[in-house]
This record gives sequence, C-alpha cells and structure tokens, in this order.
Amino acid sequence: MAKIADTIIIGGGIIGAATAYYLTLKGNKVIVLDKDDSVGNGGSSRNGGGVRQSGRDPRELPLVMYGIQHIWPHLSELLDADIEYMQAGNLRLGKTEEHLRILQALTDRSTSAGLDVQMIEAKQAKKICPELSDEVIGASWCPTDGHANPLLTTLAFYRKARALGARFITGEEVMGLNKIKGHVRQVITNHDLYEADHIIVAAGYESRKILESVGIDVPMTQIMLEALVTEAQPEMFDQMLGTAMADFYGHQTRHGSFVFGGSSGFETTNKDNGHPIAASITSSCICRGIMKYFPALQDVKIVRAWAGWADIAADGIPVISQVDEVPGLVVACGFTGHGFGAAPAVGKVVSQMITGEDLAVDMKAFRYDRFQAKI
Amino acid sequence: MQSINDRSRDIGDFFAEADDSVLICRCEEITKGEIRRAVHDGMFTLTEIRRYLRTGMGLCQGQSCGNLVKKIVAKELGVSANSLEPVFSRAPMRPVEMKILANERGV
Amino acid sequence: MKRYDLIVVGAGPSGLSAAIEAAKYGLNVAVFDENTRPGGQLFKQVHKFFGSKEHKAKIRGFQIGQDLLAEAKALGVEVILNATVTGLFQDKEITVKIADAICHYKADSIIVATGAAENTVPFAGWTLPGVMGAGAAQTLMNLHGIKPGNKILMLGSGNVGLVVGYQLLQAGCELAALVDASPKVGGYGVHAAKLARAGVPFFLSHTIVQAKGNDHVTGVEIAQVDENWKVIPASKKYFEVDTICMAVGLSPMAQLINMAGAKMETNPQKGGCVPISNAYGETSLAGVFVAGDVAGVEEASSAMIEGHIAGVSAAAYLGFIGKEEQISRYKDLESSLCKLRQGMFSLENRGKVPSTTEEGYATANNLLYQGFCTEEEVLRFPGTTKQVGVHAVIECLQNIPCNPCQEACARHCIKIGEKITSLPSVDEEKTCSGCGMCVASCSGQAIFLVDESYADGYASVTMPYEFLPLPQVGEIGWALDRSGEAVCKTEVVQVKTSPVFDHTNLLTIKVPVDKAMSARFFKGGVFHAIHK
Repeated sequence: MAKIADTIIIGGGIIGAATAYYLTLKGNKVIVLDKDDSVGNGGSSRNGGGVRQSGRDPRELPLVMYGIQHIWPHLSELLDADIEYMQAGNLRLGKTEEHLRILQALTDRSTSAGLDVQMIEAKQAKKICPELSDEVIGASWCPTDGHANPLLTTLAFYRKARALGARFITGEEVMGLNKIKGHVRQVITNHDLYEADHIIVAAGYESRKILESVGIDVPMTQIMLEALVTEAQPEMFDQMLGTAMADFYGHQTRHGSFVFGGSSGFETTNKDNGHPIAASITSSCICRGIMKYFPALQDVKIVRAWAGWADIAADGIPVISQVDEVPGLVVACGFTGHGFGAAPAVGKVVSQMITGEDLAVDMKAFRYDRFQAKI
Repeated sequence: MQSINDRSRDIGDFFAEADDSVLICRCEEITKGEIRRAVHDGMFTLTEIRRYLRTGMGLCQGQSCGNLVKKIVAKELGVSANSLEPVFSRAPMRPVEMKILANERGV
Repeated sequence: MKRYDLIVVGAGPSGLSAAIEAAKYGLNVAVFDENTRPGGQLFKQVHKFFGSKEHKAKIRGFQIGQDLLAEAKALGVEVILNATVTGLFQDKEITVKIADAICHYKADSIIVATGAAENTVPFAGWTLPGVMGAGAAQTLMNLHGIKPGNKILMLGSGNVGLVVGYQLLQAGCELAALVDASPKVGGYGVHAAKLARAGVPFFLSHTIVQAKGNDHVTGVEIAQVDENWKVIPASKKYFEVDTICMAVGLSPMAQLINMAGAKMETNPQKGGCVPISNAYGETSLAGVFVAGDVAGVEEASSAMIEGHIAGVSAAAYLGFIGKEEQISRYKDLESSLCKLRQGMFSLENRGKVPSTTEEGYATANNLLYQGFCTEEEVLRFPGTTKQVGVHAVIECLQNIPCNPCQEACARHCIKIGEKITSLPSVDEEKTCSGCGMCVASCSGQAIFLVDESYADGYASVTMPYEFLPLPQVGEIGWALDRSGEAVCKTEVVQVKTSPVFDHTNLLTIKVPVDKAMSARFFKGGVFHAIHK
C-alpha cells in the first residue's frame, strides 16, 4: 500500500484518532502511525475520564468550554457509539478551612474566565451527593463538568476514522522526521519511510525525541499516575468528584464500577519495568483517601489497579501549535494529565490548522514558542 | 513483540454465524458475535477488544474467557492464536475490599 | 519491611518442593498460599500417583500434600495459608492479603508457583447451572463432600476427565457418558479401562451440541463429528443429565509473573501464556524463578521436581551453594524428570499414534479407540501368562512411566526394569503367593489375580475395588467384562482389606473357568445387565 498521504499523524491515541477523524471527514488522506501494539495504549486509556473545565489553568478554558458546549453533547451520535458521556457536574470537596481556601482560589481563577463554577456549603454538597462523609464542610461545584469513558471514546474515534478511510498502522516506531527543501515531508520509522505535506506529532512524551530531528523541543517531564477500578455497584452518584488536596478523583461508570485516580506523593520518581506498573503502596494510599470522603465505599472490592505515564509540560498546559519554522508540522502533546476532556476540541482545531481554515478557538496560548526564561 | 499491523488490510467481510449468541465472557456477558463484530470494527488486538467490549474486565479478570476470546479474534483475523500479543496483568490478583487494601502492614 | 531469603508463591507440589530444597541449603523461606489447605491441586487428588518411588508413586495425592507440608515445616519453612499474594512489584516486593490487612514483604529471590486453572469450552447452554469444570466437581466431592450432581456427562478423555470421572462414580454419581471430539482416548488406557468396565459408555469423535434446561441443566445433546470436526446431524444423541463436567485442559495462572514485567510467550505446548523460562526455572527477571504448571502445564510429579530445581536455582543465585553442588544436584533432578517425560504420552510423542510399543508389541488399538482392551489384546502382552494356580494378570498395555508393581511383589514375579516406561511382565518361572500386594499397589488398578484351578469348572478373579459399600462375602451379582457388559452371574468369595493396601480393597469373585480372562468387574445388588 502507498506510503504517501496528505497528512501523517504520529501517535494513535485519542488526539491522533480524533484529528484523523476530523481530517478524513474533510476528504484529507490520513495515515496514523503508532509504535505500540494497540491504539490508545498511552494516556488515552490511562486517565480518569474527566470531561471538566473546573480546576484548569484559565488559558485552557476557551478550548475545553468549546468542546463541552459544541462537541461532547452529541459526540456519541457523531461517532455512532455510546461513549457514556454524562454531564452531571463536578464536586471538589474540602474538610478544612485550608481546603476551602484552595478551592476558592481555583474557583476565582475560573470565574474570571467566564466559567460557571461556585463554592457551595456542606448541606448543598450533600444534597447533590448524599453518600458524602459528614466531615465535608464545603465544596466547589461546576454543573457543566462531567465524565465519559476514555477507552470507548478513543476507540470510537479510531473506528469511525478507519471506517471513513484513515489508515492506522500500529507497531511502527517513528525515529525522526526529515525536511525536504525547507518543508517537513518525511517520516522515518524503523521499518520504512512515509511522506506527506503535513505531519502531526501527537505522541505524548515520546514526541520530544521525534521533534529533535527537526530542531524543535517541547519542554516536558513524565510522571507516573495510578488509578484503581472497583467491581460494579448499584448506582450511587453521577458526578465527577475530586478533593482540594487531590487525595483522589473519580466517578462511577455506566457499568457501575468506580474509577478512582489518586497519588502517593511519589509520582515524579515512580519507575516502571517496561510496562507502566503500579507501585506497591499507591493503591492503599488512594483507598485511604477515598474512605476519608466516602466511608460508605469501604466494603467495595477493588478488582484492578493500573498505572500510566503523563507527559507534563513545563508550564502545565499542552503545546497545540503549527510550527512556523518547520512548515507543515503541527505539534499536539504535553497534555499534563488532563488531555482527555479537551481531546475532541483539539482534534477539530488541529484539523483546521492542517486544512488552513479559521480556528474554532484562539490557540495562541498553546504556541510552541511561548516558553521564556524566568528573568 | 511489536510487529507491524496495518489496520486497513482486508480481513474479509463480517458474516453472521449460527453460534453468535453464545456467551463467551460470562462476567460481563459478551457474546461471540459481539467479539467477532468488534474485530471488523478495527479491534485487532486483545487489549483493544478488552477495552472496547469489557471482555476480561469482570471479576475473574479474563481467567475464564481469555483463551476463548483469543481463538475467536485470531480466527476472524486469519492469524494464529499464538501470534496475538497477550494482555497485561495487574494487581490485585483477587478482588480486595477497599478497607482491607487501605489497611497496610509492614511497609 | 520483612525480608526473606526466598518467598515462594503457592504451596502446591512445586512450591512446597522448592521451599524444602532451598531450606535444606539454609535459606530462610516463606511460602504463601491463598487456600485453607496446602498442596495446591494435590489436596483434592484421592487417587494413587504413578511414576516410581522417587516420584511418590503409589501414594494418594492428598497424602503427598500433607507429607510435603510436614517436611517443609520440619525444615523451618514458614508456610502461611489463607494468604493471597495480590501483587508482585518491582524490587522483589510482594503484597499479601492476610485476614483484614495488606502486608508487604520482600525477598532476595522469589519463586512463582501459582499453578494453572481449568479451560472451558463454550457451547449453547453452557452458562446453565450444572455446567462446571471437572476440577470444580473434584473440589466439591473430595474437599467438601458434596455430590456435584446425580447424573453426569463428562467432556474430555484426558487424564483429568478419566480420573475425575472415576471419582464421580466413587462418590455415588452416575456417569451417563464420557465424550471427546478426538477419535482416541487422550489419557492413560488404564484410567479409561476403570471406567469402561464399570459400564461407562465412551463416545469418541463426539462433541456437545447443546445443554438443555431452563434454569439448570436437565439434559445434553451430543453428536458425532467428521474428520473436519463438523457435526453430523443424523448422529445426534440425547442424555438426561443434571451436570456437565468439562475436562478440556488447563491454562497457567501466570498473571503474577506477568505483572512483574517478565517476558511472556504464548506457547501452546505449555498450555498458553507462560513466562519465558529455561530448564532451571529462570525467567527474564533476575532472581525471580518459576516452577510447576505456571511454567508449563504438566502434572504434579513433574511439578515437584521442577520445584526442587527452582529451589536449587534460588540457593545458587544467593550463594548458599557452590557451582559444583548446583550442577550435581541439577543433574540428579533432571534425570528424575527425564524418567517421567518418556513413554507414549511424553511431549515428543504427543499426537503420534505408535503402531507398536517400545518393545515391539502391536499397540492395543481397542484400548486407544474404545477405552477398553479386548481379551485378544491382553493375551498377547507380557503381563499375561498361562500358569497353574493363582497368578497375576497385568493389563497395563502402554508405555507409561510407572513401576510400583515391580516393588510390590516379594517374590519378584513382576518385572519392569531400569526404564520405568517399560511394559510390566510376569515371570512364569516364579510362584505367586496370592497375597494381592500387586493388585493393591497398581495405581492404575490394572492388575488382577486369576486362578483357573480355583474349583471344579470355576476360576477366581481378584480385582482392585474402591467403591463403598463393600460387597459382602456370599453376595450374588454380575461379573462385567472390560467393556462393562455382563458376562455371567457371580458370587463374591472373598473381600480383603488391609492398612498396607491403603484403601484399595481386594474383591474375589468366582466365575465359570471360561470367563476367567473376561470377568473384570463386579456389580452387585439390583443391577440390570447393560445392552450395548
């Protein structure tokens, strides 16, 4: 089969798959390459499923709000797949005055950017979610936040894009890119050579190594995050939940199981063994965190704990940008552990960058050349 | 063991079979037909099948259905069952109550 | 965090053997097992084991489990039961669920001996209550004393299907049929023979079409398959059963070693997804070893030896034994393992249909394709001789690694020789005392004492008998032949029980002399002769 396309996307996660979908809709011929065996085996399948606006860096708000207003509500329809999107709000809980101060600061940061998030009292929080511990004294509440199934959403974008003609090839590791006569053109894998006028690098942390070949760096580090999954339970609450001190975050899925993320404090130094592997102490820590706020869940059984690497951009928000000095190149990585909720909007906007249309959202804040020294 | 897997290659059309309604993953109640159809939706690896359908995500975490799913997927793809990459296993090996998991000793 | 020299996960035959071996060299060992009883698969095995003395032949499985535990404890091994190892993390750390806590332990070396679990075969109706694995039925019967059902169909003619099928009969269940899609019996002929002479019908080249019932199994439909494994519709047969047991192989439970990041492979000969390992139990993770079924499905006897090998590897890895001792011990263990891995059912011979035994005797094909040998087949093998007075008739016609019969006879009437897979032969020159030790010692229940001059016109046939209630002397019943057909009415003339027989009773019946070489089982009480 031909190795030439209109656009080559490096990275078969949700960013790559969503972008492939939007591009293919527009008649663009797309090849997606991923070094892993499976589509979406990175952060796309290793996140808490949050589709949220609250708690974000205000610079991200226009992009994610666009997605929640214009794409998420009918995404299942668009993709012909039930991706389990539930918009039932986001409660961020606090037990002490210090917690409430933190939540207030997060709230103020977002309201000034136009988000409908507010502080509420314990009584109101309990009305929204009756199983809360009595020790909760207040919360921030964003009614337009929600959650979805990241595994299904990623694979639904992939399925639809593939059905429309996008060509996905897994097991292909990209070693670097080549410019031909001033324009990025070639993708070198360890087996082959592919060519396109446009190349998108959406390969998470591995994007950094690939971009070296064309003299571009995205300042990123990696941290290992973990989550745990419970057995199915009767329906308890629909909201996305979190805490001021980030003891845990999570939601109950359509299936009935709970997915809870959390941290042990060692995320920046956790190591893996060739696969992202949970550390021996993290699940226990997350459980203690959950039970502080939901004692009702203490008898629920954990069936699985997983881990994944998050690509952390130096200033906390991703790079989603055309690269002026490498014509034809678009970079979309460094999602810093909260890429899922933004992904459909990112896919749309990146496809617009490729086809030269007006962008649905002002993307200046995400430019690749924004990183400046502190003094 | 990554080998190149072109998802646009022709694996033939989906044809309904007489035993499509037989349950394969009993924990999550997934049928043979659903698994076969998922392959034609583009799910070529056992990991993708698991994330797409939930086969192997129930209480027994795939101990009962794993081999059966592998055979069905391999047949649909026209490859040997042994060439399919095994799924990755994770703790806990058996379901554990949150309050027990929270109660650590000897750290 | 408490650190051991060696942690073994699994107190089955391989795990306990590994612990015993390592402890002998001075390692501080802990063994964790999720069950209440030690011994893994052993604790529900009520039949006598094969092999030779070094492989614990003639001893019943559950006894081997208890013996191993006692040996381990005597060596100072800490065996912690009701302890589920929930994870194997980096730096050789494990988490264990004990009572209501999660406990962390570390070790300088780890042996994963988590065994294997049953496979299943989906067919229409397989999710009805009453469909279960043969191992599950075995646990119900032998551990919990509960009959899995009343009328049972067994799918699978490998050793598990045959052995569990027999145990179902012993538990008082009726075995309506034994079914296998293969045209030949997968397990040892002697195991099949025990079932066939008890009247269990074999349906080889058959498969289950569907299980019937609304909220539980009330019946099952089977049909013959052609050489392309396609069902022949006209051959459908229906059985009223309440239980269907599946004995269709095991798959390693390798999840623990998988999560630790060991390199895995899919190896059909080993039973599926296994860690890549060598003959010394080494995996791709330094200091982490495997033994037993988790490394490749085989059986308990080989699992024990593999456990010892892994124990040596761990001890050597930690400097508890020197290179010379390590190599010498490996040699002994490998030679012991080799003896088991020979004969008709060895890995290299799997799938082959030999036309003769190793000695050159034409293969007993009826045994292979029907589940019982014919009189003609028995007569031409060295286990059968023409003698005056009582003498042993050994109906063991395949090369399997087993020799307790040789040791059993005080007069050395029975010979196997150095190679334990050799066919047993009876020495016509020696005189049999009629003590019956050989009958009781044969784990395959394939030895009979025949005396054609018992009385005028009558012969006596002494058979191994492991059913309750024991028939009484004087009881009248039917003598059945090897296929389970009634050949004549008969009277019980002797019932011998002795502690040294270890629960194999000797039942002697009196039959017309022309039935001496066909009468092989006794059915007493109200019994209607089967018409096949």
